[in-house]
Amino acid sequence: MVVNSINFWLFFAATLLPYFLLYKAGSKWQNLWLLLASYFFYGWADWRMLPLLAVTTLIFYGLGIAIGRNTESNPKKAARYKTLGVIIGLGVLVYFKYLGFMVDQFATLFRSWGMNVEESIFSIVMPIGISFFTFKLMSYVLEVNLGNIKPEKDIIKFGTYIAFFPTILSGPIDRPNKFLPQLDISRKIDADNLSEGLKRILWGMFLKMCIADRIAPWTDAVFNNYAHHNGTTIIVASILYLIQMYTDFAGYSDMAIGVARMMGINVAENFKRPFFAQNIAEYWRNWHITLTQWVTDYVFKPLTVSFRDWGQWGIYLATLINFVLIGAWHGANWTFVLFGVYHGLLLILVLALEKKRKKFEKKHNLKKNEFYKWSRRILTFLLCAIGAVLWRSASVGDFFGTMAQIGNGCGGMFTGGFFAILTFAIPSIFVAFVDEWLKEYDKKLRFFHNPNVVVRIVSIALMIAWVIYSGELDGNSFIYFQF
Amino acid sequence: MEREEIFSKLNEIFEDVLDLEGGANLTDSTTANDIEEWDSLSHIQLIVAIEKAFKLKFTSQEILKWNTVGEMVDTIIARLG
Repeated sequence: MVVNSINFWLFFAATLLPYFLLYKAGSKWQNLWLLLASYFFYGWADWRMLPLLAVTTLIFYGLGIAIGRNTESNPKKAARYKTLGVIIGLGVLVYFKYLGFMVDQFATLFRSWGMNVEESIFSIVMPIGISFFTFKLMSYVLEVNLGNIKPEKDIIKFGTYIAFFPTILSGPIDRPNKFLPQLDISRKIDADNLSEGLKRILWGMFLKMCIADRIAPWTDAVFNNYAHHNGTTIIVASILYLIQMYTDFAGYSDMAIGVARMMGINVAENFKRPFFAQNIAEYWRNWHITLTQWVTDYVFKPLTVSFRDWGQWGIYLATLINFVLIGAWHGANWTFVLFGVYHGLLLILVLALEKKRKKFEKKHNLKKNEFYKWSRRILTFLLCAIGAVLWRSASVGDFFGTMAQIGNGCGGMFTGGFFAILTFAIPSIFVAFVDEWLKEYDKKLRFFHNPNVVVRIVSIALMIAWVIYSGELDGNSFIYFQF
Repeated sequence: MEREEIFSKLNEIFEDVLDLEGGANLTDSTTANDIEEWDSLSHIQLIVAIEKAFKLKFTSQEILKWNTVGEMVDTIIARLG
């Protein structure tokens, strides 16, 4: 059930009415209703996975309490419960997500030694959203152990946090510290929340349906047959693919955030104008923020602390491990690992050159130089576009094959279906760009939030018309649902 | 060592490591959000510098639990005994 589908809106309307009617009954009843709705929603995607969600939720609920009981009296015991939680979380993730891949890799290895191994012994169905909810579960025990939050005693509330339907399939990955306290107060029907939420959903639909889904058929056609395309086509497709990836996932995140907002719940932001980043470090601070933050807090920081006596090299090593994990989080494929190595090495380069860069900028007074800024932005974008091709490739061989095509002459571009992109996606990309530019440069001009009611209504109406007219209404699936 | 003494020493370290021009002006409630130059990387350089200056070695758990400069000072005092 995706947000831009009729089914979702029927479900959402049926959820929202009783939800607000329960306002007077108190937050406990609202949470219970939200929990039931969330389990229904998740079960709709795949009912066989409900027991896994429920059992892991119960286990982590118990671990949280066990950690809380021991933090003061016996910190070592508390730390052991935390470790157990991390092992269970990772164990579930590895079992469902990576085991099949690992078994295949070993089988290939054994076969290369001349042993006879059966083809694909394992076939495990991967539960949808597993990478997201296991990360929420693990962050909960880690935060309780650090003493940043008190263990949650209310199982309904805890279950609602883990299964919260707007974000369970694909994030943003909320932290317990910010999310749980919101469930303590009754959420009443609020005009501001409703209108802000709807605006956010509309913008998300615009990004997803008018840009991502419009570009997708063309980039698919190019990358799925890369051997038949020349350099010009591959370069244009790589640039468009990064835009597609962004609008697909940021569009999804906007919709999730908007749906939650309508219910009076604030979900963490996932993107902050990543294409305005001037280097890879900044890019990752603004791209899939909730994942990067998670890995920074729970992996990168502890690693840098452990490696702190190795100076710069300790930080480089931690960076590399960090990015290999971010890459591998996306799925069991060497392409994702290599994607992590690629970004990790770029980031190490940024860190190694930081002092020199700052000196250079001071000497030539470049801090406010727009030409310098845009050169860096374009360079960062292009480096990320190469990463995106790697990310998209079915295998590492495919990636190098695709890249090799760039060297194979730069004749005319493949135009099959390209005009559908030109006429529909290009104006939309321009609108999205102007929106981000206004925000990045702190311009006062606003459309959806203009102080003048006429401008507000006209711009929203125009946007609705544009989404209906130019949007891909065929309910494409989201790239990030596979994780 | 007195709390104030530790703060003045920390101010020097912060100013030096983070290259702050106007001084660090640390208080008990200062966090990384208050100082732009204090990110996850400079955090590590700060810890190494602090360990060197006070001649002690923190455990990972201690470091990860800090949320404010005040908590950091508490650990230093506890460690110096």
